[in-house]
Amino acid sequence: MNPYRKSPGGLDPSDVDEPDGGPDGIDRRDFLKAAGFTALAASAVGCERIPTPKAAPFLIAPEELVPGRALRYASVCSGCEAGCGALVKAVDGRPIKMEGLPEHPLSRGGLCAMGQATLLGLYDSHRLQAPTIGGETADWAAVDAAVKPRLAGGKVRILTRSLVSPTARALAEGLVGSLADARLVVYDPLSCSAIPEAHERTHGARVLPRYRFDKARVVVGFGADFLGTWISPVEHAAGYSVGRRLDENAVWHAQFESTASLTGSNADERRRIAPGEVGLKLSQLAGKIAARAGATFDAPAGGDDLDPIVERLWNARGKSLVVCGDRDVEAQVLVNFINQHLGNYGETLDVASPSFQKQGDDRALEELRRELDAGEVDLLVVAGVNPVYDRALPVEKAGYVVCVAQRADETTALAHLICAESNEFESWADAEPAAGIVGIRQPAMNPRGRTRSLIEILSAWRGEAKTSLELVKERWKDAFPWAEAVERGFAEVKRDPVAVKEFDGSGVKPIAAGPEGFALVGYAKVGLGDGRHAYNPWLQELPDPVSKATWDNYACLSVATAARLGVTEGDVVRVEAGGAAVELPAMVQPGQHDDVVAVAIGYGQRSTERFADVGPQWFERNPTLGPDGLIGADVGPLLPPGLLVAADAKVTKTGRRRDLASTQTHHNIAVPEHLAPPGGAVRPCVLETTLQQYREDPASGVEKAHLPDPDLFPPDHPYEGRKWAMAIDLTRCTGCSACVVACQAENNVPVVGRDEVQRRREMHWMRIDRYYRGEGDEVTTSHQPMLCQHCENAPCESVCPVLATVHTEEGLNAQAYNRCVGTRYCANNCPYKVRRFNWFDYPHDDPVENLVLNPNVTVRSRGVMEKCTFCVQRIQEETIQAKKEGKLPADGVIKTACQQSCPTQAIVFGDGNDPESAVSKALADPRRYYALEELNVRPSVGYLTLVRDRAPDGGEGSSHG
Amino acid sequence: MKSILTYALSAGIALVVLSMAVNADRYRLPGDQRGYEPDQPIAFSHRLHAGELGVDCQYCHSGAERSRHAGIPAVSTCLNCHKFIKDTWGAVQAEDKAAAEEKRAPKPVESTEIAKLLKGEPIVWNQVHKLPDFAYFDHRPHVAAGVACQKCHGPVETMEKVRQVESLSMGWCVNCHRDVNEEGVAGKPVHASTDCTTCHY
Repeated sequence: MNPYRKSPGGLDPSDVDEPDGGPDGIDRRDFLKAAGFTALAASAVGCERIPTPKAAPFLIAPEELVPGRALRYASVCSGCEAGCGALVKAVDGRPIKMEGLPEHPLSRGGLCAMGQATLLGLYDSHRLQAPTIGGETADWAAVDAAVKPRLAGGKVRILTRSLVSPTARALAEGLVGSLADARLVVYDPLSCSAIPEAHERTHGARVLPRYRFDKARVVVGFGADFLGTWISPVEHAAGYSVGRRLDENAVWHAQFESTASLTGSNADERRRIAPGEVGLKLSQLAGKIAARAGATFDAPAGGDDLDPIVERLWNARGKSLVVCGDRDVEAQVLVNFINQHLGNYGETLDVASPSFQKQGDDRALEELRRELDAGEVDLLVVAGVNPVYDRALPVEKAGYVVCVAQRADETTALAHLICAESNEFESWADAEPAAGIVGIRQPAMNPRGRTRSLIEILSAWRGEAKTSLELVKERWKDAFPWAEAVERGFAEVKRDPVAVKEFDGSGVKPIAAGPEGFALVGYAKVGLGDGRHAYNPWLQELPDPVSKATWDNYACLSVATAARLGVTEGDVVRVEAGGAAVELPAMVQPGQHDDVVAVAIGYGQRSTERFADVGPQWFERNPTLGPDGLIGADVGPLLPPGLLVAADAKVTKTGRRRDLASTQTHHNIAVPEHLAPPGGAVRPCVLETTLQQYREDPASGVEKAHLPDPDLFPPDHPYEGRKWAMAIDLTRCTGCSACVVACQAENNVPVVGRDEVQRRREMHWMRIDRYYRGEGDEVTTSHQPMLCQHCENAPCESVCPVLATVHTEEGLNAQAYNRCVGTRYCANNCPYKVRRFNWFDYPHDDPVENLVLNPNVTVRSRGVMEKCTFCVQRIQEETIQAKKEGKLPADGVIKTACQQSCPTQAIVFGDGNDPESAVSKALADPRRYYALEELNVRPSVGYLTLVRDRAPDGGEGSSHG
Repeated sequence: MKSILTYALSAGIALVVLSMAVNADRYRLPGDQRGYEPDQPIAFSHRLHAGELGVDCQYCHSGAERSRHAGIPAVSTCLNCHKFIKDTWGAVQAEDKAAAEEKRAPKPVESTEIAKLLKGEPIVWNQVHKLPDFAYFDHRPHVAAGVACQKCHGPVETMEKVRQVESLSMGWCVNCHRDVNEEGVAGKPVHASTDCTTCHY
């Protein structure tokens, strides 16, 4: 039969009469007719009312609360002990977003990925809701009755992490002081204890200096990931970005490291060293600096490769900074020696007003370990740390263990009594991250369970139970105007400078090279840090800025080592060290040292069991959890206690495979040789230049080979009013991924789980692309935030068959979810690959977790496309507010979520039609280029070239050919 | 076979036409909620308050100027007046009259509806005007531009029980946005955008 129907005019009678349908003889047309009438009939008679929701207004309305309007509370971030200033945005009494506090003297408006993700911890339905004694739910009176007698008699040890809250510190010390035999032991899983210890030796005071990256013009780092995970990354990044403004104060940064860290990827010069070489390199550097300073130092021979660095450091005396992440006190003493002879104390290192962000004392911890081993401790109170997972202490040897915790973990499993702690968003607190800068943290909601905060618990045990508000207010009411400080989020108080002695270099001695051979290095991953937020799905799904992998830890091997071992990415390898072994998938990490296998710490925690059902539950799904039912594997047993390097490690191939869930599978910016068009050896995504070239010609890195062709059509979209535009400065962007989590929180981006990431179905609207430039392990790493470019000639718009994606009169590329039918043509046609398709209705089954959803952004359903909107909800909100007064919002008032949290202020957003706006000025920079400009899609997002202060690399880096 | 089907289809069409004719007042497209008039937990009369007494809409729905949501007043707002006004004037007069006849002091009167305000519990109302979750309506720009409440909500000041008058469909919204760009609102020129992102994000 003819497969096509003819036009009615030429209808063949035989064709009409002959049924072509099924056994009943109903042909397709009749079936469609019948179906159509049935549907019409159903719609005509079946119009039942959609169930309308109930609305319950307040009984007594709080004065400041208008339903639907967001309130912002200045507060302090509790993601780590860095004490960054935060703004908590709350709608209808529930916090929905954490943002940076622009006025804060340390964080200067930035907030890292981890800090922003703490919000999800508030709505964690697995949090402990009430205290338990011996596994039985108890009330607080019973807890106090059980603990107080034990405090009174016997040997009491209180173990906490760094108490950045002066109130908590004073209460803990007061409690300890009031007891017969008690001691407070502080430890940090990411220990910096060697630095204060070294200062005790060289400066006579146990202080952690405040590192002033904002004042440093030459920075040399030895394994300290100060932009990613070390001490106070947001503060450091904000300071570091001061030197990235390409003015006369440009910073030059050299990084020595064995792993491929975020900080290393931003360095102007990066050198791979073995972990055992740190001491040797520092000694050689110290020797060369001492020689110039006229000091005596018996330096080991060699190290001539350091001369250019020494030259730069010496020329920047008083404006340089040497930092080291090593846990060896001797190495830190050498660092002090170097900084002293460079005249950096009092300039880039502040010991008079030191940092309180890391207070851990590893010697005290060792002493406690000895006491526990001897069975001497009667009562061990563990607050806010997980020493069992960290392998810090044999907790089970204590007579009675009391845990103060928000969630069940390895340590609470051993505890006799668990005090359920309030979430940080539920209680008052304070923080003094650096001497004289006091942050006040306000609660954003009432406790969900029967919980108490740490300071409330401590004050109850001291016999004067008070609320957290009373405790904090009492502590500070005489020091500064309380109400004003609460409103601002911080206050500055006068502190007596710490008395330091004259520099004592007597104990400084060179360090010989450490043991050679293959070593295991444990490192902290950006986002997960020491692993305390392992419960947090946003952070688990955040791609590592360098490796781009999500959801797992893995054994990183350099390209050469992987080739030597015959390992490819995804091969499961057995890593052995210290008498233990762990099996992990391999990750080939260019830029890592050849004698190192690097594994992220903080994985394999019990709290990750919860991710068994994360992501869509469909029949072909693969589990997110690893073979042992957890996310990743714990590398702790392989590392010596308190250290992150294990010598004599062994890596063997098991023959099995476990593919990594990576969000980027193409790594090198160079086009494979057989695919490269003439002159197109390097993809013009991230354009780079050197500082020298930039100073000669500010437009030096900008692509000139492919200027867009003139348009065939006249410009018929004049954009008379505002036209939104964004500028991203790649020189300032560190790749820290704070914007990724900011976008996820703001725009209700779902978590999809490991399997879906492997299927390239991650939903992040904003991603950080990472590119390697160079061959093998000698690579330069660059980062590029990539989001919808809101192209004027948007390729997505012309292919949408239903006009679900169209341009607005203000230059936004709009996506109407309710119009989208899910053809995915737009994603196919997008050259930037920023569109995300909802393959599923991602689970929103947890009613508590759903409270984090932004009510101003639609939760997308299955089958629709979505992408970055330039935070149109924020544009609308500010515009509506301003229009009430008959004007438009001023420049800078509308901030996208990614821009708001950026620690280095690399992102500028605004009206591109206003020549006075910050974004217009940024886009007028000669460094400005557009990604894939030759396509002539005319993006609204301009990038500013990445300028590094290094010798030109022969043209390979900056432009084609 | 074909003839049976033809009869069946004809009967179907007849049934549909008949049902549409019979239910003409009820017939509407899916999602069209015009005429929705649910019972509310309190027999609150907009006719009395907004119409007869002339209370300004925004006295109770004060969010309209400040927020996306116009809001339903908190019980404390009701009590600004109803702390003192516990029943209708008629009921008070009747009690006074009865008390005078029985030669006793008048007792306080309290209507059963107003008594519901004093139970110390929030009143759970039935929402009448409801937009889908993918549409974002904001009262602020409409109030600021001077659009009358009745334009969307109908003559509420004449209603004993609030009823949805307009369809609140997208076409209805867009028509108005187009019209006011031509005609202005209350004599003032306005710019009502018809971009998708005005309502959908």
